[in-house]
Amino acid sequence: MSLFSGLKKLPLPWQRRGSAAHCRPISLVFSQFRAVLKANNQALELIADMGEKLSGEYLFDQRYVDSIVEELIGAMHRSIAAINTLTENRWTSLTPIFAGLEARVRAIASHRDDREGPPILWLSEISSRDWPLIGGKAAHLSELMANPQVMVPEGFVITTRLFHDLIDHNDLRADFARFEKLAAAGDDQEKELEALRASLEQRMLVASAPPGFLVTLEAHLSRLAETSSAPLFLAVRSSAQEEDMDFSFAGQFHSELQVLPTPNAVFAAYLAVTASLFGAKALRYRRQVFPEGGPLSIAACCQRMVSARASGIIYTEDTMAPGRQIMLVVGAFGQGQAVVEGQVPTDLFRIKKGENPQLIESTLAVKDQAFFAAGPEGGLAAAGVAPAKAGEPCLPEEKLLELARIAVHLEAFFKRPQDIEWTVDENGELSILQARPLLLTERNQEKKPLSEKLSTYPRLAEGAGRIAQQGIGAGPVFKVETLADLKRFPEGAVLVSLRDSSQYIQVMQKAAAIVTEVGTPVSHMSTLCREFKVPCLVGVPGIYTMVADGEEITVDAEDRCIYRGRVTELLTYQAATAMNVQMAPEFRMLRRIIHEVSRLNLVDPLMQEFRPEGCKTFHDLLRFIHETAVLDLVEIGRDERCLHGQKKLARHLALPIQAGILAIDIGGGFAEDAPADNIPFSAIRSKPFRAILQGMLFPGAWHQVGMPVSFADLMHSMLSTPRDALSGQYTGHNIAIISDSYVNLCFRFGYHFNIIDAFCHEVERDNHIYFRFLGGATDIAKRSRRASLISSILEAFDFSVRTRGDLVIARTGNLVQSEMERTLDILGRLVGFTRQLDVQMADEAAVSRYSEAFLMGDYGIVAREGGY
Amino acid sequence: MTQEICRLLVVDDEAIVGKRLKQVFSKIGFEIETYTEAAPAMNAMAEKPFDVVVTDLKMEGMDGMEVLRRVRSMNPRTQVIIITGYASPETAELAQEQGVFEFLAKPFRLDELKQVIYRALAQQKGGE
Repeated sequence: MSLFSGLKKLPLPWQRRGSAAHCRPISLVFSQFRAVLKANNQALELIADMGEKLSGEYLFDQRYVDSIVEELIGAMHRSIAAINTLTENRWTSLTPIFAGLEARVRAIASHRDDREGPPILWLSEISSRDWPLIGGKAAHLSELMANPQVMVPEGFVITTRLFHDLIDHNDLRADFARFEKLAAAGDDQEKELEALRASLEQRMLVASAPPGFLVTLEAHLSRLAETSSAPLFLAVRSSAQEEDMDFSFAGQFHSELQVLPTPNAVFAAYLAVTASLFGAKALRYRRQVFPEGGPLSIAACCQRMVSARASGIIYTEDTMAPGRQIMLVVGAFGQGQAVVEGQVPTDLFRIKKGENPQLIESTLAVKDQAFFAAGPEGGLAAAGVAPAKAGEPCLPEEKLLELARIAVHLEAFFKRPQDIEWTVDENGELSILQARPLLLTERNQEKKPLSEKLSTYPRLAEGAGRIAQQGIGAGPVFKVETLADLKRFPEGAVLVSLRDSSQYIQVMQKAAAIVTEVGTPVSHMSTLCREFKVPCLVGVPGIYTMVADGEEITVDAEDRCIYRGRVTELLTYQAATAMNVQMAPEFRMLRRIIHEVSRLNLVDPLMQEFRPEGCKTFHDLLRFIHETAVLDLVEIGRDERCLHGQKKLARHLALPIQAGILAIDIGGGFAEDAPADNIPFSAIRSKPFRAILQGMLFPGAWHQVGMPVSFADLMHSMLSTPRDALSGQYTGHNIAIISDSYVNLCFRFGYHFNIIDAFCHEVERDNHIYFRFLGGATDIAKRSRRASLISSILEAFDFSVRTRGDLVIARTGNLVQSEMERTLDILGRLVGFTRQLDVQMADEAAVSRYSEAFLMGDYGIVAREGGY
Repeated sequence: MTQEICRLLVVDDEAIVGKRLKQVFSKIGFEIETYTEAAPAMNAMAEKPFDVVVTDLKMEGMDGMEVLRRVRSMNPRTQVIIITGYASPETAELAQEQGVFEFLAKPFRLDELKQVIYRALAQQKGGE
């Protein structure tokens, strides 16, 4: 096993900077360094601001999106300029890299992101950043495909990129633009619109393929045929941009089934689907439900046809009596097209919802006709069903219940009642063909306003907490005390806990809602809730003791109310509200933009991808710039030539422990009257640095006695420590760069290497901690155990943690200042506690023993078990 | 506030504003009408007055200041709340003179607007 694969070789300082480098005054370097920090913080703050707006708690409009995008791009340019000023233009390569990222974000902001990307994408390889290209139906399918509990027939999507290519290649752009304009306008130009519509529909049907497309299509068809055991036929279905999102568009566009797997046949089917965007029916529907318009493009989903024994639909709510916990299944023999179009008699089943669904009613029809594959030329044909079989249920009870369980899971997964198309093949294998939100309409007889109906339910909390993610969810309470509880989390439950934790990600797909007593809408957990669309209230005092495990509650994370029991009116209201706010165009745009800017792929400077070319998002660039700035400053601080004649830069700390730390103050880190050297703890003004030192100085946390390292351990460390990664920059001293609100602390203790980078002041969203730990003097097994010890402790303090062998990378942030100081204090103790602990990591049991001791504050375990 | 149904008028040229507010306020029992242009909104106001008007400031044609003036002259009882992404101090001052109830900077928390509206309604009652 190559332990350090992925770890890069850091060039040594004297290799990085030309020997002819001239020296700038240190005060200038400091102000340049601070300029980098400032620009970075501004950019990060804007990113956090955008994330918060997605909770649904805010009202924002397109102008907000436009202006914040401009501000953010401006901050990014300043940050890139600042790092180049500091490093004397060593990173001009960042400019073209950012230009690419900027162009992508601008494409999204100007609604052009459905034109950029490949013409075909495999369903199984689609990520959410591809969504603008594939339309709503395919987006849902790709999510289902990634879900191990659901079978989806494999296939690919012909994207909206091809749609636009087709428009351009066939000279339809001007007419298309005019059509879009008229479709969004009032009723005064009906004649022209109708003529345009009909002409576009006709011309689209006979459009010619853009050069090279049929070849690409053929390659995809061959790959699909290779993996298909039965003769391959395709289902070509529409996936319009808005389809299945705000509005159902059910049956408004064309589909072709049992299509021959040749490029020409599939392309012809694709054209028929595409032309239906201009169909009279689709246009009417679109103008009715979507009057203010917005450009529409269309993709097509091409999937392997399932040779169906039976097919149909399942609704996860009874549309006639919503809220009663009843699901409806409609099914028939053969292909499902006949079911959705009402061409054949169907069976109707009613199933009681729950973790173990129960069949409570079957209404069987005589299904004497069904649609099956017509023959080798493709197409479907009606066929008679033997009279003895026609009266039997289309699915046996066990299959119905299996279907019901999947439906319950999908409802929890998508957080809304679902309308699901299913099919069962000859081997009894169940596949899902489509899942979309089920639109319910509130029954007219109940005229009383919702607020009046709600007043009859007992409230557990009212106007309490903050909204981390808007929405309404109901289910049995599941209290989470320790992370181990998550393993037992039931489908559709409401998670209730004292504190928030990013570890709840493990159950977010199953959770109906999350409520915590402590927490903030900008925490990692809140961000994840927005990603998974889990309704979530944080900071609800006393809720943990108010509810019992298993008790049903309803969480209204819109009006910040929690009700005892299942408030069916609210759930129906949610499903009946035609516009789900998450699906509003402004929300979707902001979500896509955030996706492009805020993900962090570039976590650690020791990893190979840590270079400008590895930056995939704005956040990656900011991270790169920050690390680069720190390295540069440390390097300048160590360069004797540059320090010549200047005030002593790196000053020793006089601490009661032998930590050997040199600190470089870039502004406000020390008291003004601090001595020139040997600075006492009392003169340290840097908030984060002081907190860490306080932890290190905590009684018992720092072990003064050197631990005996065995000869074998020592040999190991000499042979395997990656010298070029670890030595060089920091040898000899532990260096801290500090300002009043910032610290970058590099420890090099024996053979391990530890970095803490933290920003801490009164603005909580600027605050962050980055922690890295690597190496050790013992063999890899012991070192890795220490790494897992460290990571389990950090996880308990809600860091998001990644480990790899003996490397630990942990991050947290968005904490209020007091919480930051507490966490940094803990880190200080942890640094002291684990400093030489790898020696004592003799077996796996030691990991949990020491981790528990640390969490209990029993730092003496090190001395006790170490036998000194 | 449980007995009388409050009538709320929203004018904003960005459709999402009206849509969102409709969702939020009809849920809690308000009678709400939303418009993306000021002129038809003023017609609706003339037909049957609203208790509270929430209007954007910068709009094509009739802007929020004009809406404020007209609403106050049509029905001085009606409270007007202006929501805007940018308001110069001069505009704010002018609006105060014209009797605006409050300025709210976009983007804002929906709860903030709710509280402002409740206060406007309370003041309206107190004034009667």
